[in-house]
Amino acid sequence: MEARKVNAGRQPWDEIEGDEETILIRRTLRSGQKFYYSGNVVVMGDVNPGAEIVATGNIIVMGQLRGMVHAGAEGDDLAMVMAFRLQPTQLRIANHITRPPDDEVSGNYTPEIARIKNGVVTIESYPARV
Amino acid sequence: MGEVIVVTSGKGGVGKTTTTANLGTGLAQLGYKVALVDADIGLRNLDVVLGLENRIVYDITDVTGGHCRLRQALIKDKRFEGLFLLPAAQTKDKTSVNPDQMKTLCDDLRQEFDYVIIDCPAGIEQGFKNAIAGADKAVVVTTPEVSAVRDADRIIGLLEAAELRNPRLIINRVRHKMVAAGDMMSIDDIIDILAIDLLGVVPEDEMVIITTNRGEAVIQDDRSRSGQAYRNIVRRITGEQVPLLNLDESGLLGKIRRFMGFK
Repeated sequence: MEARKVNAGRQPWDEIEGDEETILIRRTLRSGQKFYYSGNVVVMGDVNPGAEIVATGNIIVMGQLRGMVHAGAEGDDLAMVMAFRLQPTQLRIANHITRPPDDEVSGNYTPEIARIKNGVVTIESYPARV
Repeated sequence: MGEVIVVTSGKGGVGKTTTTANLGTGLAQLGYKVALVDADIGLRNLDVVLGLENRIVYDITDVTGGHCRLRQALIKDKRFEGLFLLPAAQTKDKTSVNPDQMKTLCDDLRQEFDYVIIDCPAGIEQGFKNAIAGADKAVVVTTPEVSAVRDADRIIGLLEAAELRNPRLIINRVRHKMVAAGDMMSIDDIIDILAIDLLGVVPEDEMVIITTNRGEAVIQDDRSRSGQAYRNIVRRITGEQVPLLNLDESGLLGKIRRFMGFK
């Protein structure tokens, strides 16, 4: 868990996590498909509306995330969710539940990352724009 | 050896039966030998749509239950030589047939016909499982509505789980004007979510209702846009490359062309 200290003056090798299980899903998760994993989940494809991913670690979607995801499902509030296009029906991290604002029509096509900062789920573009 | 294609959607009322009837009629028009199987046991209506209701003697459950031979239950279409219907039972329910029986049935039909098209019931339960059991290929029908697309997505997932890979999509009842005004999901929006090959797009058309009520198929109507769309889909099924129909023919030129019967 040493490498989990977020931000500030880190070296590239600090970013490498090796102590957790990670699974790679090489397809799109469709409506009604639920995936639970104890560890990190990486999806090469989309997560469609009506699909669910629950992971005890982080969730990374190399595609469009439009379903429900729950990262840090066993209470890890350092867990994060990242997607090429983050438009979840609902996004949960540890014991926080959020959903996108009702009136927002997102035209954001950049990768985004969601994590808990100061007790609230914050969404930022990733990598952060300079 | 023929090809067994299941027409499915998840949601009801999106046009599975109409699509099945039109694809069958279209393939028969091209000279193929086609069997249509109504797998919607208990709520049969493919026979009504084809105008063959009054000719039913035996149905699918009689065949799978061994009460009659397959030949006896197949009803020959009124118009096309090579088109046959295996009707569903109306007085029984989905549990009266099981997937193994359907597999055997499809294998028997495949020996005799070029195409076997199965009209799948709505839902994801037993009826759906029966309908897809013997199929080699699947066609998913949806309409540009969020609920229909959601169900189509679920169905595609279930088809993949059942090893029916690469289903193809028909988007039915598209209203070009509403799409252009941003009031209806566009073809791109739907493809974006479902991410499967597009087999065709059928515009919303009153002629579908008119012809269906007469027990005919709109594909026989040379003038209608939906008929043209179905003819294109049929050609794509036979392996031809046909470009998508241009749905925007609301202008004067389009009207003239439509009037003259060219499309």
